[in-house]
Amino acid sequence: MAILEACNVTREYRMKAENVHALAEVSVAVERGDFVAILGTSGSGKSTLLNLFGGLDRPTSGEILFDGQSLAPLSSWEMSRYRLRRVGMIFQSFNLIPTMSARENVSLALAFAGLGKGERRRRSLELLDRVGLSKRADHLPSELSGGEQQRVSIARAIANEPQVLLADEPTGNLDSSRAAEVMGVLDEMRLRDGKTIVLVTHDRELADTFATRVIRLKDGRVVDGG
Amino acid sequence: MKFADIIALALRNLRQARLRTSLTVIGVVVGVAAIVTMVSFGLGLQNNLLRDALARIDLFTSITVMGPGTDALLALRDQSQDGAANDNGAGDSNGEKSDGAASPTPEPTPMPTRMLDDAAIAELQGLSGVRYVLPNFSFSSYVRFEGRTRRSFIGGAPQAIEYNPRFKKFLAGRHFTGASAREVVVTERFISWVRSKNKPNGNRRRRPGGPFQMAPTRPEEERAREANGILGKEIVFLIPREQNAPPSAVFGIPIIDASSSENGDFASEFGAQYEELVYRVVGVLKAEDGFDINNFMETDMFIPLDQAKEFRDANRDPMSRIGEFLAGDTGYQNAEVRVIDVAQVESIKEEIKKRGFRAWSLTNQVEEVKRVFLIVNSALALIGGISLLVASFGISNTMIMSIRERTREIGVMKAIGGSDGEIMRIFFVEASLIGLTGGALGVLGGWGIDRVANTLANRWILNQVGQVVRRIEFFAIPWYLSTGAILFALIISLIAAIYPAMRAAKVDPIKALRYE
Repeated sequence: MAILEACNVTREYRMKAENVHALAEVSVAVERGDFVAILGTSGSGKSTLLNLFGGLDRPTSGEILFDGQSLAPLSSWEMSRYRLRRVGMIFQSFNLIPTMSARENVSLALAFAGLGKGERRRRSLELLDRVGLSKRADHLPSELSGGEQQRVSIARAIANEPQVLLADEPTGNLDSSRAAEVMGVLDEMRLRDGKTIVLVTHDRELADTFATRVIRLKDGRVVDGG
Repeated sequence: MKFADIIALALRNLRQARLRTSLTVIGVVVGVAAIVTMVSFGLGLQNNLLRDALARIDLFTSITVMGPGTDALLALRDQSQDGAANDNGAGDSNGEKSDGAASPTPEPTPMPTRMLDDAAIAELQGLSGVRYVLPNFSFSSYVRFEGRTRRSFIGGAPQAIEYNPRFKKFLAGRHFTGASAREVVVTERFISWVRSKNKPNGNRRRRPGGPFQMAPTRPEEERAREANGILGKEIVFLIPREQNAPPSAVFGIPIIDASSSENGDFASEFGAQYEELVYRVVGVLKAEDGFDINNFMETDMFIPLDQAKEFRDANRDPMSRIGEFLAGDTGYQNAEVRVIDVAQVESIKEEIKKRGFRAWSLTNQVEEVKRVFLIVNSALALIGGISLLVASFGISNTMIMSIRERTREIGVMKAIGGSDGEIMRIFFVEASLIGLTGGALGVLGGWGIDRVANTLANRWILNQVGQVVRRIEFFAIPWYLSTGAILFALIISLIAAIYPAMRAAKVDPIKALRYE
């Protein structure tokens, strides 16, 4: 069974008087353990799809299924628990909290899960160690390089052991060597921990290098690989 | 998320905008300080009026019982002569219904019909809930002390005084040794009369009088020295030889200024008609602090009760002579009924009234005063509350600013699993921290203002009066005012945070996180 599935998903936005179709009747299934790359130009609807998978947004019509269960009936609070436990999100601009150290950023995700202080401390250092940043745990994001920041955000994304990692252009702000480093960490997550990875990118080369499957989106429709 | 973590997050947020937070807190501090200062002034005023009463709880367990006064005796006489026609109205002490017409008032206060004599005292003593009954006499008589004569108020005191609060504190000396001892205990009022003789003419400072009379203003050691100075001295009571003068002579009795006659040649004028009785001063009672509700006509001295009764019979003032003529013995003037439980005062008072006496207690009056002060204090709190209302807008403003700045952060929190409720709680806690800190500092600030104002006020009084008056507390901050003010600040802060917190919870993470 697919771990993540989009069934006939349409997402419209109201822009002034007209409705813009960000996604139109998209059906996609992501299998457990896959490294799926969603490829498309900007405005193709790839980020919209990722946000729907991540539980940050709800479709106008159609259904998102996680492990065979629809997200549609979930309350706002249940949705937040879904984001907390089931999926981990990684963003192009890292989205670390600038006033918190690397460890505190990771710790925040653990705090939302209700872990105690001591446990949080131990877990966050362990997570940073897994992305190779245990020595930089007390640095603020501004004191870290882009690649390091993205690795902190990966540590945060896997903090509550989600089965799926959703990465939205994670290397978009990085030079190629840092990008390879970050992609390597993601790939390792898949291979070692069996995480399912959904990567949104416009970089075909990156997609071809790491992905086990590539889905192409254009103007809100799947044109290839669905 | 654990509550402790929410507090930690809120604290962190507040610390990040230190200046803004401080300014907001100052707004709350000003508001709370205003409330505390205002209300503490009202409460202080209330305390100054009620403190002595409150401090001496015995005032509230006391019922003053009176027998029929002269007016009532007139009524009794009328009744016995004219039949039952004048049942209610004729004896009214204010004389409004002396014509005896049918009373329009549905239930007029019944006039005392019973004599407050020894039998009555025993009866009152027998009521359940009564701890003891102290009969009281006071009458006025001429006394001579060191060559000066004065008309004085003389009270009779029982030998057993362990219950009587009036006799708890002796400035010098002791109580009488026995019911038949020719001994007298004087009050500080008497001492001040003695002292007035020694002062050079024209240098007498008018003592602030009335119910708000200040406590003795001179240091206690000095007063005690004076008191010791008159111990053992003689006081001569002047008892008129001619007894039971007929009522027609009432107007013939020379009525000299009752309270203080500086008349030196009294003896030559009336001496021949008076018998002299020599008493010795054995004790001086300490004046009570503040005003004394019970003794608006302060007694000058006390002698043993039985002797006072004898004297009174021999030395009646004009009114009681009329009374005696009309109704025979008028009994004791009043008696203090001491009740065991405050809660029973009202019911026992009613019972005493039912038995035909007049009874009076302080409880009603205190409740009335408290009610008035509740209104005054509420008004003061309202005025102070306005500034806290202004501060609440400051809180809202601060929170909204903070949310605008932290939109992205809120988006991140939501993306990694923070719920709307958790986000909301963070902001409510932030507001609460502002409210609590502002509230606590505000109470401190109000207290500080009170201290300064109190010092200045007392200094001003000192300048005006020119002598050391007992230091007056103009303000009072009871625990319920301080905790109430802090709680109020907390509630106001939470209300002010409702809109901002809801706005924070509604932040759309997709918009907040959109790459810029």
